[in-house]
Formats: sequence, structure tokens, C-alpha cells
Amino acid sequence: MTQDYWKWPETSFTSGEIDWKKAGKITAGVDVGSTSTQAAVMCDGALFGYASIHTGADFKKAADDAIGKAMGSSGMGVKDIGAIAATGWGGFNAAYATSTMDEVSCHARGGRFIYGPSVHTIVDLGGQTVAAIRLYDWDRVWDFFMNDKCATGMGRNVETLCDLLQVPIEEIGALSLDVPVDPEPVSTTCYAFAQTETMGLLGRPEYRAEPMTINQVYASHLFAIATRALGTIGKLQPLDVGDITVYKELGFTGGLAKNPGVTKRIEKDLNVTALTGEYDPILAGAIGAALLA
Amino acid sequence: MDRFKQMIADRHEYAKAWKKKTGGLVVGYCPNYMPEELAYAAGMLPIRIMAEQKPDVVSAKWIYASCYVAKNMTNMLLNGEYDYMDAFVHVEDCQWTFNVFEVASNNFPSLLTHYLFTPDYTEGPIAKDVFRSELNVLKGKFEAWTGKAVTEEALDKAIEIYNTNRRLLRQIYEMRRFYQTKILGSEMMNLMLANQVTDKAEMNKILEDFIVELDARAPYDDRLRLMLVGSETFNADLEELVESLGANVVVDELDNGSSNIWNDVVLHKDRLMALSLRYMGRPHSAMKDSNWRRRPQHIFELSEDYMVDGVLVVKQLVCQAHGSDNYAVWKLLRERNIPFHFFERDTTLPLDETRVRIESFLSMLRPGVTRIRGWHQPLGI
Repeated sequence: MTQDYWKWPETSFTSGEIDWKKAGKITAGVDVGSTSTQAAVMCDGALFGYASIHTGADFKKAADDAIGKAMGSSGMGVKDIGAIAATGWGGFNAAYATSTMDEVSCHARGGRFIYGPSVHTIVDLGGQTVAAIRLYDWDRVWDFFMNDKCATGMGRNVETLCDLLQVPIEEIGALSLDVPVDPEPVSTTCYAFAQTETMGLLGRPEYRAEPMTINQVYASHLFAIATRALGTIGKLQPLDVGDITVYKELGFTGGLAKNPGVTKRIEKDLNVTALTGEYDPILAGAIGAALLA
Repeated sequence: MDRFKQMIADRHEYAKAWKKKTGGLVVGYCPNYMPEELAYAAGMLPIRIMAEQKPDVVSAKWIYASCYVAKNMTNMLLNGEYDYMDAFVHVEDCQWTFNVFEVASNNFPSLLTHYLFTPDYTEGPIAKDVFRSELNVLKGKFEAWTGKAVTEEALDKAIEIYNTNRRLLRQIYEMRRFYQTKILGSEMMNLMLANQVTDKAEMNKILEDFIVELDARAPYDDRLRLMLVGSETFNADLEELVESLGANVVVDELDNGSSNIWNDVVLHKDRLMALSLRYMGRPHSAMKDSNWRRRPQHIFELSEDYMVDGVLVVKQLVCQAHGSDNYAVWKLLRERNIPFHFFERDTTLPLDETRVRIESFLSMLRPGVTRIRGWHQPLGI
């Protein structure tokens, strides 16, 4: 049996400590993304349950499965949830949702929940999109930018690369950092070009003056992804013209937030250390939707 | 389909019928600064060459890297959709549309062509004189093509018709300045586009009737008010998308939108100089603004006049003109605290990507306003 190198592990959790029947307000959010789907159930503003699964080809099934796994065996049903907000590319497939929300607002709100009130810049590194969001001191979006052209800098790119190079997706980030110096990034124009160029770096080492190690090849690819994300972050309105300290209050959300090969390179370029949170950053969209529902 | 959208859809048939009726020449032009009055005075029908979002079957080998507007124009020309067009005037502004002009010139030897030089520094000390001399050359070309002299009387009549046209359009734009608007952005954009492919004397009658109709029309409920800035477009899809999300585009700064209507030709004993002064004095297009950077201030003033809640700065993918211009626009909007959102657009991108951005922008302007079920339904109000 061949290994699915691209497959990241699905997770779910349902609190055994919170008694949902005693909760005054139960809300839920479901973030049906192009690559992954998350659901979060909140009881009186506390995270009661969550799930993060692969979306696959059936968005409706993914939305149903995610909310089901987030409720777990607690006995809670969809009918017990006061309001459910759906977000993400496939958000409208969540037939049980009572409202739909835009992704930027959800990631902004979810990012504040995960990283606390000090976060002012949220970078959502998703499956097909990267969004850089600037927040006011209060929970409101001040400015945002999203990638324009294609999925070059996104999670789906890393998935297919891992499959191509047969490296487990949880390991590629750390391996890419195990290089003395970052090589030049591969093409950032197109996802397909980037992968072709990455494969080209591996081929015919005898023709290269300094053949690249496999870790340098990973680094070259993830550096390109970080470069694309940096282009989007750089378009954000500065907090104060000429003041770059704003990036010090930065948090990552989305699946690629768990890939240090991307996040560390962004941090290095911006000269910051990103905030860390208690919860999985991939849940930010779903948590935000639940809080805004 | 609203009447103006229908006029755009029927524009080829309209031009063919006009030719049959009048026996005149149809002159296509792109992109901006076309002195239509001169063509009109020569008895020709000036029409803006428009792009349509169609599968591109022929232009790839002619233009590799270009914006979709130029690619689609080339596609349509080579497919014979503009086969009724007798002449093609390219007004210097954008390199991509110049490629269209070159492809047309090379492939249709019988097509009458002219390249109209336009000074880059439109406010330079000799710009008006240079453009006047270029207009004189163009006038000579028109006279040779039609076999008739362009008289001062004909020019005066054309100027009057075009001034009236701009005045009527400004009158409609004025109605959009206030709350309780009676016209949505999509209808206005379609009107503006229809205006560029129709005989202006005929269009003026349509506009006069439309203004009477607007006076009697019930106003729309107030929505978030947006301004649209950026590359030229040839449909109102974006405006319709904005409307489907509960907002309205109340003013634009587009080359095929408002930037053509703000100033008139002022009477002058030298008619060509009068035309030159008018065109050199219009709001700068992005390509002609690199020296003075007056366009950002113009955009800011429009945003204030029309009381907009936010500005959409939308660039066509690989648009030459707006690639370097947008940063100046962002800078000024940021300095003046005008919320805006920038994105690039291409027909190859799914509409949902644009929808996500606009929905997020509307939420940013007024949190909760787009929290409605059913945003994924087909567009429409």
C-alpha cells in the first residue's frame, strides 16, 4: 500500500468538561474550504468541540461530517445549536447553517480568539488563498488583501508537492529549515511552474555546479510560498506610515500556519516572532464563524 | 435584460443598420482620448471597440502576454465580428490595445487605419499644440477616407451634439450623488457603454427620455455606497455582483465611464484647438498621469462628492496602464482615510473569488451587512 504523503491527520475534539445542556448560548461555525473543512461548537463563548477534516469532492458531506465530529458523542444535535454560520469557499453547502459569513471577518474574529486581543495582523494561509488582515484594537477589520492570481502560495500546492516528492506533509517544513542558507526561491508566478522548477532542481545533478540537497529543494519551494504571502502582507495599510513594528503582533491561521518552513521564513523577513495560541490555527475560520453566528 | 444592456448586445447589428441607412463609414477606436466629434463631423459613426468574455480561439498566437481586454478584442476582430468596421483609429495610450491595432492592420489590408499620437504630458506647455496638429492630420485622413471636407459648420454641429451628450450624462450622474438614488450602478454602466456605440444624436434623445423616466421612478432603498476605480470594463458584471450583495456603485472613475464626461468643448475660433484643449483637459487616464499624479486627487474628490462608503480599486490582470498607477491611488486614499479594497480581475478567475472579496469588503465597511442567507444564488436583484 502506498503512503499518502500529502494527507495531514484529521482531528476532532469534544469537551468532556463543559455541560452543553447548561449553556445559555450555543453557536457553531463551519468553514468549508477548498482543501479542508473545520467545524467549531461554542458554548457561552468557550470552545466545546471542533473537527478538522479533508474536504474531498463532496462539500456537503464534508460540512455534515465536520459538525457531526465536533459534536461527537455529547448527545448534542444540530437542532440544539442556536445559530450556525457557514464560511469558506463551500460554505453554502452547509444546509444546516442559519447564516453565511465572509472568510475575512471569520478569520479576523477567530484569530483574536486564538491569539488574544494583542493580535493586529492575521495572515490566513489557506488551501487556495492567502489573506492578510489588519485589525483595529477592537474586533473589526481595518484592511485586508487576498492573493489574486492562483494557488501558488497555498496549502494545496504543498500537498501536491509532498505527494510528488514523497515527503510527509508534517515533516517538509522542518526539513526545509535544515539548510545552512536559504536557496533562491523557485518561480512564484504559477503553482505548476513552481513544481516543474522544483523537480528540475532535483534532476541531472551532474550538470549543476553545486548540486542541491533534497532539503534545499524543499526550502526553495517553501521560500517561494513565503515570498508570495509576503507580497500580500506587504500591501496592507501600515499602522503608522514608516512604522513596521505593527507586524510584531502577527498571528497565522489556516492549514499552512502549521508549516514552519513557510511561517518561519515570513517571520524572518518581517523580523518578528509570530504569536502562539492555545488552539490549532486551522480552526480560526470556524471559531470566528461560531462567534459571529 | 435592461434596454442599455440590449443596446450593447445589439451594437454590431446597430452599426450595420446605421451604415445601410446613411452610407457612412464606421470607425472603431480604442482606448481613450478619441476625438469623436471629428469623426462625427466627417459623417462617420465612431464606436468604441469592446471586448467580450468569449472563448479565445484565435488570438493566442498573435498576442502571448496581454490583458484579456486586448486579447478578446483581437479575437473578435480576427473572427470577423467587426467586419462592418471601415476604419480603425488607435489613440496612443495603452500598449496592449496597440497590439490589437497592429494585428488588425496586418490582417485586414482594406481596413483604413490611423495611429493618433497623444502627448503623454497632457498638461505640458506644448501638449495642446501638438495634439492640435495631430488632429489636423486625422482630419485630413477622414477627409481622404470619406472624400468630403470636414467643414467648420459640421464640426460645430458635432461639438454641440457631443457637449449635449456629456451634459445629459452629467445630469444622470448628478442624480447618483445623493441618497435615495433612482439608478443602480449596473444600469448606469450599461448606459455608459451603450452611449459609446450609438449615434450621439440618437442617444441624446434616449437620454432625455431616460431622465424624464428617472424623475418619475421610485428610489431604491439606501445601500452601502461604493466607488469603482481601475481598468476599463465592458460589462456591468461587477456592479451587478455588488448589488447582489446589498451595496451599490454610485460613481466610477473608469476610462469608459465617468472620465469622459466631466468637461466640454469650449467654443474657440480654431475648432481643432478647441477639441485639443478639451481632450488635453479631461481627467487624466492612468497612462497620462505619471508626471502630475492628478488622478488620485480627482478620485478622492469624486469619492467625497458622491459620499461613498468605500472604494473598489479593480485592475485587470496585467493591465499596463493601471499597474503603476494604483499605488499612487492607494497612497492618497490611505492618507485621507478612505476605505478601499484592491484586487486584480480576470475572466479566467471564478466569479466566486471576486464575490468573497467584495463580501469581505462590505463586512469591513459595515459589519453584519452581508450576513444574509443565499449569497450564492445567481446574480440579480
